[in-house]
Amino acid sequence: MAEFKSSAIDCNVVEAVQTQAFDVVVIGGGPAGMAAALAAHKAGARVAIVEREQHLGGILRQCIHPGFGLSHFKQELTGPEYAQRFIDQVRATDIALFLDSMVIGIDSGEDTGASSVDEGAGTAAVHTVTLMNPSGMLQLTGRAVVLAMGCRERTRSEIKIPGSRPAGVFTAGLAQRYINIENLKPGSRAVILGSGDIGLIMARRCTLEGISVEGVYELMPYANGLRRNVKNCLDDFGIPLHLSTTVTRVIGHDRVEAVEVSQVDERLAPIPGTERIVPCDTLLLSVGLIPENELSVAAGVELDPRTRGAVVDQCLQTGVPGIFACGNVLHVHDLADNVTAESERAGAAAAAYALGTGAGAVPDCELSVSPAGIAGYALPGRITAVALTKLNFRVRRPVNAARVRILAGDEELLTGKVRPFKPSVMESFPLPPKVIQRALDLGASEIVLSVDPVEEE
Amino acid sequence: MTETFDIAIVGAGITGCAIARQLARFDLSICVVEAANDIALGASKANGGLVHAGYDPAPGTVKAQVNARGCELYGTWAQELGFLFCRTGSMVLGFNDEDRAHLEKLRQNGLANGVPQLAIIGPERIHELEPRASAQAACALWCPSTGYVDPFEVAIAALENAVDNGVRFMRSAPVEAIEVAGSGDDARFTLATPVGDVRCRYLINAAGNGAADISHMAGAEEFQMVWRQGNIVVLDKEPRTLMPLYPVPTPVSKGVIVTGTVHGNTVITATAAVREPGDTQTYASDVNALLTGARKLVPDLDTRHVVRAFAGGRPVIQGTNDFFIGQSAVVPGLFQAAGIQSPGVASAPAIAERMELVMRETGVELHERADWNPIRRAPDDFDRAPLTRKEELIESDPAWGQIVCRCETVPEAEIVAAIRRQPGAVSVEGVKRRCRAGMGRCQSGFCQSRVVAILARELGCDPSEVLLEDAGSWLVEGPLKGVR
Repeated sequence: MAEFKSSAIDCNVVEAVQTQAFDVVVIGGGPAGMAAALAAHKAGARVAIVEREQHLGGILRQCIHPGFGLSHFKQELTGPEYAQRFIDQVRATDIALFLDSMVIGIDSGEDTGASSVDEGAGTAAVHTVTLMNPSGMLQLTGRAVVLAMGCRERTRSEIKIPGSRPAGVFTAGLAQRYINIENLKPGSRAVILGSGDIGLIMARRCTLEGISVEGVYELMPYANGLRRNVKNCLDDFGIPLHLSTTVTRVIGHDRVEAVEVSQVDERLAPIPGTERIVPCDTLLLSVGLIPENELSVAAGVELDPRTRGAVVDQCLQTGVPGIFACGNVLHVHDLADNVTAESERAGAAAAAYALGTGAGAVPDCELSVSPAGIAGYALPGRITAVALTKLNFRVRRPVNAARVRILAGDEELLTGKVRPFKPSVMESFPLPPKVIQRALDLGASEIVLSVDPVEEE
Repeated sequence: MTETFDIAIVGAGITGCAIARQLARFDLSICVVEAANDIALGASKANGGLVHAGYDPAPGTVKAQVNARGCELYGTWAQELGFLFCRTGSMVLGFNDEDRAHLEKLRQNGLANGVPQLAIIGPERIHELEPRASAQAACALWCPSTGYVDPFEVAIAALENAVDNGVRFMRSAPVEAIEVAGSGDDARFTLATPVGDVRCRYLINAAGNGAADISHMAGAEEFQMVWRQGNIVVLDKEPRTLMPLYPVPTPVSKGVIVTGTVHGNTVITATAAVREPGDTQTYASDVNALLTGARKLVPDLDTRHVVRAFAGGRPVIQGTNDFFIGQSAVVPGLFQAAGIQSPGVASAPAIAERMELVMRETGVELHERADWNPIRRAPDDFDRAPLTRKEELIESDPAWGQIVCRCETVPEAEIVAAIRRQPGAVSVEGVKRRCRAGMGRCQSGFCQSRVVAILARELGCDPSEVLLEDAGSWLVEGPLKGVR
């Protein structure tokens, strides 16, 4: 197994100076940032990665379970192994690394720059990324910026769990960090709320480390994580999964002493009379992830309220010319392999934009994409070229039989096969150029991606 | 071990800290005795931070006198003690004729209480002052003197300044018994605490929700505390900070208020329900009432991003809504600052001023010290520091460039400073209250383990001994595998 070595990348660390110019500045050194940087570098761009931790790898560093790389490397790897493959590739290039560096702002040159965007991508506005690290403040300029900051976990407060506020309530990722990075035991008896993948993986991890897991509780009537994780992490260890049940009170003044759980009705409201007290000293929360877009918003990037990530076009370019987004900061992915694939596209597109080798500044179409039916979102939200476009989406609830339909106005442009859909899977649906052209010919300004359940025979 | 002081103040909430700061200018030995392991862990912690202007209390009450005066004093206190204070003004929104009559009554109250520049205004002016105020609001009481503070910061700043002027702070020292000797004794009170006895000539009861117990232990006035619990919600930061907006008050509270904070968040404060003493639980019904109430005042308020919900108890004396400030009629030498519920934060500087006056009037000799320093130098707040100062700081110590809390941009050096200041942080929450590490939208998901490591290093203890808050609130059991 590839051991993660913190010193392995120090040789690439750039001495701090006042301003350094690059073609592409990538913000975030996790799987998304590394894949984007490598793709941009491959396309001939001068690339920098800014990472706030001391190490590349992002959250993969603490994901020591297997299940990574099956699609990208055709091989099952742990998180650190998967990350190390990219770290090694980055090290083999002259990509500049700014580690331990926190970006405090992104300024786009549009307002101040004398050069006009109209002159073509080659002379487009330059973005200035201001960062700080223990050596001081520093500015990086880039013709393109790739946002790859990842996501954060939803907290107890966001889901409004009532009760007291003792020690022992952790997000699953924080507990994972204590166990896998710090070698510290966060408690002895845990209850896990949320059957997302991190919650399932932590149920197994806690059990293996001698922390007894009283049960996994899930608000929804179905498990939220991947099927394989329910089997490998709960079923194999005899950990009960309680569906349509949630934590309705935290009990304990100083340290968690118990939680109260209640069953919920179809509208997800707790059912009075179903309360049950589960003694425990630890509550782990795996209740969703939120793209970390504070920097993006400050840079003027428009967000999609459904994904809480940027609205992008088919090249993963945001509404701010030259700023691209990929990975979990754009939308929460199911698999790291999918993050890699998406980020490679973003990196290549950012390089093409920066080097002026792209398809040209004038879009040949302008279509928005909206979700309908049980599709929770559709990405990209804008299509500006008649070219093969991969539409990503997730469904809001599991169904045994549904089909994807692509609509423009009243016309159905394309339909997919009838098959089952699950919210835990990030789906991908290719949109051929002729379908996009058809929408334009119809005079449409919007394409609708609808996932519609069908009656089972 | 017994230590003797001229004055012992029981309680390091905002009231006790303000009194300590006020009296530190005199040639007296003073000790602040606190049951918890840090400053402001009671009602001062679970607080919306509003500096109410003083139009609410009924004229003639003690509250009426100290509220308006406290609000006035905040400008000077903020300057001298280096804490953040925004005097933004506020509006009480009225939606109908009945409300308008109520607003007029509040205005009359305010005039009687000496609140400056109150005015009843109409929709146009309302939206000029706060564009996000409900369009349904037909009238409002505009009160320019209202403001807000971070209540922890005020208490901490006041006590830091007091300690800098020689005041002693004893933490984790719950008073278990009080012995009272004859009135001629130079140290007639003896307070028994688990960390040693404290003897003093004058005793000040600023024990918040514990004030009735302290009074009882000293053989002074008997009264009961009522735990009027309030839930409060903090929302994420917004580009523009909201002006405090109040509904027309209810008979027991000011109702659900929406306000900005000194750090740019939005706070919704507070529900009011009598509950079991010590109950600091949040309740789903209360949180919903807050969010619903807030949207009445600010319809476009995004209430999805709750950063934190918390609750505390207002220290109300049963049978009165007023503060009890003065010398005990039963035990001379004992001075009470009890029943300091809302508007306790707004009144704190004036309560301190009044306590000084009361002590003088009863013959306590107060001689000003030549070396009293009214100024407290605030710690560097990296996030708010101008760029040049940031650069200076990083140059002075690279740990200023090592960001630990990404949500609030708190570097390691700022956390270390919070621990090393006097009185410093001894817990994860203590660090949070002093420098905001862990106070942001991720609620310490990314930084808690690093803050624990810094605390363990600075306090010279094992991570398993690091506390979230007070005794018993351990965060990790210890190492998973034998060797570390």
